[in-house]
Parts: sequence; structure tokens; C-alpha cells
Amino acid sequence: MPKLTIDGKTIEVAKGATLLEAAQQLGVYIPRYCYHPKLSVSGNCRMCMVEVKKAPKLVTACSTEAAEGMIVRTDTENVKNARRDVLEFLLINHPLDCPICDQAGECGLQDYYMEYSRAKSRFPQEEKVRRGKRRAVGPHLMLDNERCVLCTRCVRFCSEVTKTSELEVMERADHSYIDLKEGRALDNGYSLNIADICPVGAFTSRDFRFKQRVWFLKKTPTVCLGCATGCLTEVHHNENTVHRIVPRPNAETNTWLCDHGRMAYRAVQAGDRLAKGVIKNGLIDLEPALREVASRIDENHASAAVLGSPWLSVEDNAALARLAADALKTENFCFDFKAEQGIKDGILINQDPAPNTAGAALIRAGRGGLTLEEFARRVADGRIKVIVTEARAAAFIKDAVKAAGARLIVFATNKAEIPAGAYATLPYACYFETPGTFVNYQGLKRRAAPAVEAREGVKPLWAMVNKLAVYSGTSLRLDCAEDALKGIEF
Amino acid sequence: MPFKLSEEFKTKAAHICAKYPRKDAALLPLLQELQGAAGYVAEEAMDALAQYLELPYARVKGVVTFYTMFNRAPTGKYHLQVCRNISCHMAGAPGLLAHLRAKLDITEGETTGDGLFTLSAVECLGACGSAPVMQVNEDYFENLTAEKLDALLEDLKHGKHPLKR
Repeated sequence: MPKLTIDGKTIEVAKGATLLEAAQQLGVYIPRYCYHPKLSVSGNCRMCMVEVKKAPKLVTACSTEAAEGMIVRTDTENVKNARRDVLEFLLINHPLDCPICDQAGECGLQDYYMEYSRAKSRFPQEEKVRRGKRRAVGPHLMLDNERCVLCTRCVRFCSEVTKTSELEVMERADHSYIDLKEGRALDNGYSLNIADICPVGAFTSRDFRFKQRVWFLKKTPTVCLGCATGCLTEVHHNENTVHRIVPRPNAETNTWLCDHGRMAYRAVQAGDRLAKGVIKNGLIDLEPALREVASRIDENHASAAVLGSPWLSVEDNAALARLAADALKTENFCFDFKAEQGIKDGILINQDPAPNTAGAALIRAGRGGLTLEEFARRVADGRIKVIVTEARAAAFIKDAVKAAGARLIVFATNKAEIPAGAYATLPYACYFETPGTFVNYQGLKRRAAPAVEAREGVKPLWAMVNKLAVYSGTSLRLDCAEDALKGIEF
Repeated sequence: MPFKLSEEFKTKAAHICAKYPRKDAALLPLLQELQGAAGYVAEEAMDALAQYLELPYARVKGVVTFYTMFNRAPTGKYHLQVCRNISCHMAGAPGLLAHLRAKLDITEGETTGDGLFTLSAVECLGACGSAPVMQVNEDYFENLTAEKLDALLEDLKHGKHPLKR
């Protein structure tokens, strides 16, 4: 365990730790472009130069292993000059098109220039080497080689994380540029991470480009509901519109985020978002829709049933369990969902596409209920005639419903989710608009936090359940999401 | 027509690969083999070689484009490669290049109409001590001046100068 001194502060680090990592532990920031904690060390950008006592010249902090007794300084004139000079080199051929660059505001060149350089360039604009400007590479990314500083983070990401190796540095010296095979698309399911790790505006997201200047964005930490992995994410939004989702790196599950998870926000502000009820195929105001649903339940009281959903939060599932137990007073309810768990692509994507299979199991543990097979059997043989459930969960009993002609009453956020043949659909606020707890495949409880407000009249699912119960003559007394959780081991 | 590695090449390649602990280490010698046979490394040949060595195509392309020794298109009979790095630059390489451009009426990367000469500016040839240097096919010509160049071109034109290749 080598002990070393950085800027006068002493620290003991694990063997093999680099100077940059040691400094990070001390809270000393060393600027970097090519270094990324989850990628191999490349040492090509030269931005992290530091002074080591008795070393003949400056060393790169990212690639120098900490050794016993090292005395490192990151704040000397020598280091400051080196940073200024490296920036001057990097900016020689940079187009300085910040006013039309979407990276502005979160650009490594801008930030470091303001922090470490502020020097006037000695290289006239006319002599800059010109490279390819914006060009779409794959469905998610735009590549502007002129802005590139050749840190090779993208190259290493593709070869080390996705192992697809699409990208490589072509040519040499000041002719170098990043490219991939002609005609091939950069579409490996994780390509948008490249836009995140690109320290400059070379790779930008086609989806996010020019939607919003980044300094206007507000950030809400939340969890991805794209599958059972439950990656921690951050939703970036402004004026009640979600603009993008980025990962919140953590040790338990994720550093990265898949393209599918990042695009999940699109459903929130999609054109088919439901704000009213749907009876058969006709839109109808919420209150009459609820009244209609309640009377359909009442006329089949003995054969009404509730099916929970692994796509709903623990709280909303608990509210559905209360609906079954206290309003319908039936044993016909089910929170039993089994799905193969585990990362299927070796990176992040789970075999289980639902985010809360484990959370639904908590409800089953606390409230009991039928197995999914038994539930489907009762639907098929007509003991269950009316089913209240969530749109995607209806797929679990699709065949039985179709065969027996049972009435399906579903909660859905978007029109596209509504299963074929559903009798009634009630809207609810999605988890970008209302909080909820989800349990991922590792059993970690994670909280989805609201980033935007739901459309007027659209309520969280537990509140809709509460209303529905009132319409059918029982008060569940749910005043908040947590009210439903009483008696559930949580 | 899709490019196929010849059986002859594959035999040679297996022999070369066997010299290295890892197959992909043979990338450079195999590229040289390909160039030796065809005079240049075609895009399709890179693809075939990448598959043969189980390397990503981008890696092969990156290597081919990095080294100026690899031609990506057929060259003329004589490939004039003028070093443009610092020693040669300071010893007058830009003047030599300009001279060649004017005399042959082509720019870097082009071939003369008679198919004799291709002109290239290349990275360091590792002969800084005798700058400026030009490589013609596999031969070095050092301490060059405009007069020496003219004489050399005349010799080459008339087939008087024996080259290794």
C-alpha cells in the first residue's frame, strides 16, 4: 500500500492505483480528456500532466502508478504551463464553432480553456486542418470530426464495453480522424454512451441535438424502468418537458445506459398519451369512464378480479391489492410473475423486460393471492369475468381472456399500450410524473422520482384505484402512495 | 467481384502467423505480403484479411492508413515517396516536392499519364542524417538536390537505374 503526497496532502492508496486516482480520492481534481474510470488507460491527451519530485519531466497522472514516498504537485507553474500548452495544441485545428455546437455548456474544451488557459491562440483561423463536418453515424449519433480531440474514448468504448469495435483512428498525425467501415452503422445498443463520454462536440446525440441548451436543463435523479436491471439514471428536463436521460454511474448496477432505456422518455410526451378514459374505442371523460368501469365491476361483483403488474411500482401494486381485498372483497387477485432474471447481453440489458417483477413478489408475500396459472385458469373457465389490470400485464393472460371473452379493464399511459379487445382503459400518471418504488433483479429498492408534472386530470394509479373504489361504494382511504403499503414487508 | 485471399497467400500467412504468439500480431507482415502481390492493399483485401485474422475491419483500416508505406490504390511503375518530416522539411523537402510537382505535372497522390511515376509525401523514413530523402519503390535516395532529382528521373525513365523492385 504505497503512501504518497499530493499537493502537500498525504494519502495511502491501493497498490496499482494511479496518481490520478489517488488525487481523486484526496479531492484534488486533475483535468483529463482521454482518461475514463471504466475504460483502459490510453494516456494520449496529455492534459493530466503533474510534477513528481525527482522525475526529470512532467508525467501523465492517468498512467503513472503511485509509488511509496512520491511527492506530487498539481499546482506548480510548470504544470499550469503544460496544461495551457496542451490546450493550445488541441485547439490549433479546433473549428471554434461553439455558437452552433450542441456540446456547448458541457464541453471539455470550453471548460478547461476557461479554467486553465484563457490564452489567445497563436494559430490563425485560416490555416486550420479541415475534416469532415456533421454526419450521421447510426441511428443515434452525429459525428463531427473537426471538433474531435482524438482522445479515443469512443474507440475504446466500442472495443472494450460493447466489444463491437466499429470505430478506429484512421490516418496519422494531423490528418487523423475517427471513422468506421463505410456503409456500416454505429448501432450497438449502447451507442449513446459515446455521446456522453465524448469530452467535446464530436459525437452528439441525434435525438437531443438542438432541443435545449444544456444550461437550461434541470436534473432529476431516478431509475430506469426499461428492464429488471433498474439502472440509476438522471432525467434532464425543462419547462415540463423531458429532453434526455443519462446514466447515474454507481457500483451496484450501471456505469452506462442502453439506448433503449434512454429513449424511454419519448412515451411521456408522445402524441398518443392518454388524458381521458377509453371505453371500447371511444374517448370519454374520466369521471364517466370511472362510473362505467365501476358499474361493470358491480354487476359482476362475484367474478371480478385484479391482476397486478411487474411494470407498476410497489405502491401502485399495493393499491391494486387493496382494491381486490377491500373493495371487491375477492380472492381473485394475482401478484405472481415469474421471469428469467439476469443480464442477457453481458452489459446491462436484463432477460426480464419488466422493471418490478421482484417488487410484485413483495406484494404477493404480504397479501397472498393466486398463482398466475391459477388466475389464468379461472379466467378461462369463466369464474373470473371482469379483470382490472395494467395494460402490459394483460399480455400474461391474453389467451385465456380471448378464449373466455372476459372483460378487460386496463390502466394505461399511452394508447399504443392498450391490448386488443380491452373493454375499458383508464389513464394514469407514468413514473416520470409520479414517484414509485421499484425492486430490481438484485433486490435493490430504487425510487423513481417525478421530473415533470402529469397532464391536468391525470392522476397516479393509486389515486385512480382510490377513485374507482369510491365509485363502487368503498373508501380505501388512500391519501398518498404509501398508504397502500401498510402490512407489506418493505 | 468479391475479393478472396489466394490459397498461396493463406499458406504463406499460416507460416507467418506461426511465428507470433498471437495471430493478430501478423497483421503488418501480412499486409506487406498483400501489397507485395498486388502493389497495393485494396479495401476488399482489408476486409478479407480482417476476417482471416479475426480482427475488426476498422483496426486493419486504421493500420493501413497509419503507415504511408501501404498504398491504397495502384501506383505507377516508380513510386516517388518524399519524406515530409522535420529533418527533411528543414533540409529542403518542400522545394523538392514542388520541383517534382512542376516537372511531372501531378500533385501528391497522383500518377503521371504514362503510368511511370506516382508522387507521395510520406512520414519519416528514418534517414534524417542524410536528409532530404526520397524513397523510390524500395530504394532510398539521400542528400537530394534538384539536380540529383532530375538526373535520377532521367535514369528511371530510360530504365537505367537498377531498383530492387
